[in-house]
Amino acid sequence: MTTYDVIIIGAGAGGGVAAGVLAEAGKRVLLLERGGHLPIPTAPLDHLRNQRFSPYGHNAGPEIDGNPRVTVDLEGQVAVIRPHEGGYQNNAAVVGGGTRVYGGMAWRFLPQDFRMASTYGVPAGSSLADWPICYDDLAPYYERAEWEVGVAGDSEGAARHWPRQRGYPMPPMPISPQGAVLRAGAARLGWDTFGIPALLNTVPYGGRPACVHCPYCVGSPCPVDAKNGTQNTLIERALASGGCELMTETVVNNIDTDAAGRVSGVSYLDSAGQPHSARAAVVICAGGAIETARLLLSSTSARHPHGLGNAHDQVGRNLQGHYYPAATGIMPEAVFDGLGPGMSTVTVQFNHGNAGVVGGGMMTDDILEMPIRYWQHGLPPELPRWGIENKRFMRENYQRLVRVTSPVQEIPSPEARVTLDPAVRDRWGRPVARLSGATHPETIRTSAFMLAREKEWLAAAGAVRMWGKVPSLKLSAGQHQAGTCRMGVDPRTSVTDAWGRVHGHDNLLVADSSLNVTNGGFNPVLTIMAMAFRVADHLTQTW
Amino acid sequence: MLSTDQQSTLHALMDRIIPPDEDPGAWQAGVGDYLARQFEGDLRDSLALYRAGLDALEAEAAASGPAGDPIAGVTRFAALPAAEQDALLKRIEAGQVVHTWPVDPAQFFQTVVQHVNEGFYSDPGNGGNRDAAAWRMIGYVPGGREGAR
Repeated sequence: MTTYDVIIIGAGAGGGVAAGVLAEAGKRVLLLERGGHLPIPTAPLDHLRNQRFSPYGHNAGPEIDGNPRVTVDLEGQVAVIRPHEGGYQNNAAVVGGGTRVYGGMAWRFLPQDFRMASTYGVPAGSSLADWPICYDDLAPYYERAEWEVGVAGDSEGAARHWPRQRGYPMPPMPISPQGAVLRAGAARLGWDTFGIPALLNTVPYGGRPACVHCPYCVGSPCPVDAKNGTQNTLIERALASGGCELMTETVVNNIDTDAAGRVSGVSYLDSAGQPHSARAAVVICAGGAIETARLLLSSTSARHPHGLGNAHDQVGRNLQGHYYPAATGIMPEAVFDGLGPGMSTVTVQFNHGNAGVVGGGMMTDDILEMPIRYWQHGLPPELPRWGIENKRFMRENYQRLVRVTSPVQEIPSPEARVTLDPAVRDRWGRPVARLSGATHPETIRTSAFMLAREKEWLAAAGAVRMWGKVPSLKLSAGQHQAGTCRMGVDPRTSVTDAWGRVHGHDNLLVADSSLNVTNGGFNPVLTIMAMAFRVADHLTQTW
Repeated sequence: MLSTDQQSTLHALMDRIIPPDEDPGAWQAGVGDYLARQFEGDLRDSLALYRAGLDALEAEAAASGPAGDPIAGVTRFAALPAAEQDALLKRIEAGQVVHTWPVDPAQFFQTVVQHVNEGFYSDPGNGGNRDAAAWRMIGYVPGGREGAR
């Protein structure tokens, strides 16, 4: 049996960063990934089978057969669903994880995002809490993520809202036509705007070229490798160091413990389905908020009958993502130049300090949209779905549409959770994740507030017609899934300590979005990367 | 696969969902080809719904038609004037049918609307949107270099 210093489960945003840091620190690392390598695409994007729009499947996994989950809706209806179906809360299953196919917005959370309970109080029934760390603790690691993975951004604009030691390594993306009209609208309202930071090369960086402004950013791998994920940065560094072994198409079925209950390694199935075990001094879970929780819960033993780190029934709770109220407006003139990624402008005017609601979210223009996805999700609700009127609307307005979206910070509920389904198994015989509960209703009120701000912005930008509706109460996780192994001080209300170490275990850590106590009013990937830098850095310093 | 009659009903139906005008309608833009390909793939399980729904649509048209077709003796959906086709489809969309349908009429219609638009607005590589006609119509013209694509 092979012995490693560290086994990392999951080669996404968190696991990839941890692998790079630990391998370069001289540790012998085994990085396990259930997906494979996604090649740089050479054919046009399939608009019906990609991570953004997937009625018939995905381009970045997981495979639609053999990977079910079970959902329980608010009426108690139970359904077994496949990865491309609604409610699965899918994230990409490939080397690089979601970073392989994301849009790459690269946000730091704001200082207030780390102390939501202190700022707003705790709404009844919610599990809103402060983080055990503050913005200043994470700031140096945000900076490492920005420079070592590679972020293009508006340094001056960001410095107006975040304490920062250093600017971004690359200049921001160009201002798109929709961004220009929104900036003019915001100026009329007296709102501050700036350029969206993104993990994209606007100039050659890291030995790879600049973005060519193709129309396929979210949901697709970059055709020229100008999008920065872990697969082309930290994982490459880990492999180049000689200290990291990457095994793909490998699924972990157990985190193993010894007779004393101490973590000793993992049991896994290779791509041919053959079982193996590996031993390690340290195991790091980085499979994403749903799969990390599922694996901890399923790794039971006599000493850990409820799974690892779950003595207080906390693993899997507080599952959250982002609510995404979106307003669409029709501008008097075309605001379409066909250049990807398309989004360019943000305001963080309404992330906090909004009278009568808890938190808020940033607001941006949206990425260049595939026509079929626009037809599916973007049209006015009163427009007939078929016939000449529908066709005319698409013809006359597609180039004039502007959508403003906001990832509203969710108010977590302990009832929104991952458990193990008692009956359904995946193709490897593992119990699958059962997802139940919903966000706290305060999230709906904040979403309604943000939708009104989106419409206000569109109106000030000159929109002649607007629509958009408040999302209903439901479980929300998706690619921004977080919170299921929250860090904290008290083992009765958290799963790990402030360094990602699972309470009660000296050698079991978490380094993904599961740690996020709350999820900010921002895309969380830069925070996931920064947290993984911090967890791995601390591990090497205390080894 | 669909029978010849079912195919001609589908042709007429999709051309009311996305009618031809100065730009191609669904059929001319290759949505029939898109569906034919999908019926052998992802939509294999929908074929039975299509067969039953298209036959029921014809029965509905025959029941509501103003006069019998001089040759077949019944009114075929494709032979109805566009306004009457649309009126009939609106009834089906609302579930207000006079015949007994073996499938849910509203669900059948919504399904066809969904699939026809997928074929029309998705990439030509899926078999529809011939010559990117739908994309040119709406102005979805990628402005950047597509690199390796």
